[in-house]
Amino acid sequence: MTHTILTFITAVKQEQVGNLGEMLGQIGKNPETNAWVPFRSLKQLHFASFVLHKAPGYGAYLVFENNFDGTLEDYLPDLYSQACTGLHQIYSCCQDYSVASATDRHGMLNYLRAHVVRPNAYHIGNTGRTAERVLREKTLRNALEQQADSLVRNGQATSDQAVLANLQQFVRSDPQWSWVPGAGPRETFPEKLVAWAKLIVTGVAAVVLSPIWLIPVLLLLLVLRYKESTDPVQTDSADSDKVQQLMDEENRTGSVQNHMASITNVKPGWLRRATLWVVLWTVNLLARARATHGSLSGIPSIHFAHWSIIDNGRRLLFLSNFDGSWENYLDDFIDKAAIGLTGVWSNTVNFPRTYFLIFGGAADGPRFKAVARNSQTVTNAWYSAYWDLTVQGIDNSSSIREDLLNSLDSTAASAMLRRL
Amino acid sequence: MVELERKDIQGMVVSAYKHLTCSAYLLLRVTNPVGARTWISERLPGVTTAETKHEKISINLAFTYTGLENLGLPQKGLDGFSFPFQEGMTAEYRSRLLGDIDENDPTGWDWGGSPEDRVDVLLLLFGEDNATVDAELQRQQAGLADRGMKVVKTLFAGREPNTHEHFGFNDGIGQPVMEGTGNTRRQLQRTNHATELPVGEFLLSHPNVHGVIAPSPTVKPEEDPMQLLAVVPPDAAGLNAEPGMHDFGRNGSYLVFRQLSQRVASFWNFLDKATCAADGASDPAARDRLGAKFVGRWKSGAPLVLSPAKDDPKLANENNFAYFDKDPYGLSCPIGAHVRRSNPRDSLGPDPKTALNSANHHRILRRGRSYGHRLENPLIDDGEERGLHFICLNSDIERQFEFVQQTWLNNPVFSGLYDEVDPLVGNLAKGDRLFTVQAGPLRRRVQNLSRFVVVKGGAYFFLPSLRALDYIGKLQP
Repeated sequence: MTHTILTFITAVKQEQVGNLGEMLGQIGKNPETNAWVPFRSLKQLHFASFVLHKAPGYGAYLVFENNFDGTLEDYLPDLYSQACTGLHQIYSCCQDYSVASATDRHGMLNYLRAHVVRPNAYHIGNTGRTAERVLREKTLRNALEQQADSLVRNGQATSDQAVLANLQQFVRSDPQWSWVPGAGPRETFPEKLVAWAKLIVTGVAAVVLSPIWLIPVLLLLLVLRYKESTDPVQTDSADSDKVQQLMDEENRTGSVQNHMASITNVKPGWLRRATLWVVLWTVNLLARARATHGSLSGIPSIHFAHWSIIDNGRRLLFLSNFDGSWENYLDDFIDKAAIGLTGVWSNTVNFPRTYFLIFGGAADGPRFKAVARNSQTVTNAWYSAYWDLTVQGIDNSSSIREDLLNSLDSTAASAMLRRL
Repeated sequence: MVELERKDIQGMVVSAYKHLTCSAYLLLRVTNPVGARTWISERLPGVTTAETKHEKISINLAFTYTGLENLGLPQKGLDGFSFPFQEGMTAEYRSRLLGDIDENDPTGWDWGGSPEDRVDVLLLLFGEDNATVDAELQRQQAGLADRGMKVVKTLFAGREPNTHEHFGFNDGIGQPVMEGTGNTRRQLQRTNHATELPVGEFLLSHPNVHGVIAPSPTVKPEEDPMQLLAVVPPDAAGLNAEPGMHDFGRNGSYLVFRQLSQRVASFWNFLDKATCAADGASDPAARDRLGAKFVGRWKSGAPLVLSPAKDDPKLANENNFAYFDKDPYGLSCPIGAHVRRSNPRDSLGPDPKTALNSANHHRILRRGRSYGHRLENPLIDDGEERGLHFICLNSDIERQFEFVQQTWLNNPVFSGLYDEVDPLVGNLAKGDRLFTVQAGPLRRRVQNLSRFVVVKGGAYFFLPSLRALDYIGKLQP
């Protein structure tokens, strides 16, 4: 099973910005069942967001983020049938939208297709799990927890094997769990093979062709080194009004996740644009092969994150759906993934001082956080199909489901029971 | 070895004044800035610095944002403080992340909860006994009104016979050591363990754990005509602190103050009920064991990781342990136990070294003290107020104090758990929270925890350097 990660990016008519903002505000208040896009009824959807971003020189943009199961062509018909009236209202606020009515299915789908932006790089925390599977496995785990509670209460938790047998019986005897044995692999062998093959072929090709690229790249690196020693960096704290607006939306009661939308200006000149493109391409190549077990470069808390170069290379859009607090997320980046992160964002303005593209930079915590806050933009509406679950929590539930009905030796049985 | 500017640093940064067992905290409001500045200048010679230890009394002085604003600190200086300090503890979204909702909501606090209740200045008095503290308090209070200061509230603390907090557990064992204080040896002797952290984790304008200067508020040279403050050198510019500016924040620290009321009887009655026999008979040993599971240490202070089966007073101050190798699954010390949540050490993530390094980016210097009398029978409530005046020092409120509070203590999914918060101080809002005691073959989930600790007041203060105190006292209208 593959996921699709994309955004629809459209320019907003100047006179409609206020109107659209209000609409998105309403959606944001009730993402599950609002009248425009009732996200809960989109069964393939994991996370979605609307971001209305205004910037001098660019005007207003609407970024509609969608992270879902299957392909775009699987998803679009459902999106249309659940939300055509609302989407028509929303996109009527946008430029070059000429669809006359919500009933024009063909016109609307073509409009959406025409504005798809696929990310240059992305990361998925729970590889291969559909939204439906995530929710089902959560119910299974909850039921097993209850059953485990009653075993403990009644003194029936006598041995690993006895408990395991009881839980297996519990699942087998109730038809509502008939789906439990049917779990497919999180990542199929061909998927793994393709990702690793790409990585290896690229690596080999890079070595073989090094006589051609090595010297030009080293020269460019010296140019870059000169540029980064003179690029201006952030000197003040983040804009306090901005931080307030952002924090107002963060850490909603009942949710263990947060959303981050960030749009940064790429430093001027073709060298920075080209560097950014190459870095993201490399990140994506590595992430496809290596970041398939829940963590991206040691960061265990990202559900879906994506980077897209937009506006002909002049801006970088980053969207992330992550677990826990902003502070924790940023500190994880600093402590565990500073190099990759610096490699990407050092090509954007005001980033803290770097050395050879990937060193320094994000390690300057206070400056990096100030830049990160300033580059963030308020998320107008945000939906998660599972507010209360972390990447780790989802993986844990999947493992329970995958292992539960196997015959397990005592080591494996006790490992299985520790998951509860 | 880092050389501290000891004359410039307030004493409580380097010492918890353990020899001064009693204390009083005066929460003050500025009614007339001119008088208040004179008052500060008059206090200056009496403020205890990190240079000398006083046997009888120590005095320290801290300010809220409104305090510095009312005393006339230039706008550039005010703007250079971190957001949490500028906004205070009670901004709505801060309440959410700190767990200050429902019963903990600032609107119900005894102090610090509303703008009408404004606190500007905190005067901390530490004395060898109650008489000394009372005498000093009298002396300090006498001239206040003449100097444009008003007492909002007086809090007392530190009357406990030992270092145990009110639930009965030995407290204050694990503490990071600030480089340059020379406290490492003492800490090693006392607890067999010491984590040294850079000065910039606690004092502004010094290099922090990231090796960069902890951001510090500065003023323009012309705003410091008497040259009282240090000048920012070209090679040590931090955020907001351009070279040549005068450094107001240097050697100062953010001081977090929270009054935490403890419901001792409901804590022990809950444990009693959760561990009683089928016929309802109490099982004191099981009760203490579950209490220790909540805390992560036995009453004596002995860590569960090292002594899982029973209390061991020989390990009362032992702090030389970690989780990754000894107790990865929480079978000795539960994953959600208070001490494990408030300092997870090497336990978060697949690599213990990275995890420990990361955890040490979120440490605080604790300077809190218990208040109120010990409850004689922990199972029978006497209706009296008691708890902890939690005080801590750090250079980055968001990365240190708030992080511990939000990402560790109040996080329902901390370290792979589901839907539970810290059993002692967590936001146990609706009595539906649980606590998991990991065990084989199955864990036990203790259900329906209620709130055992209630927030009664709090504020973010700044504990300035002596130079900065002198500067405030001499500010011109």
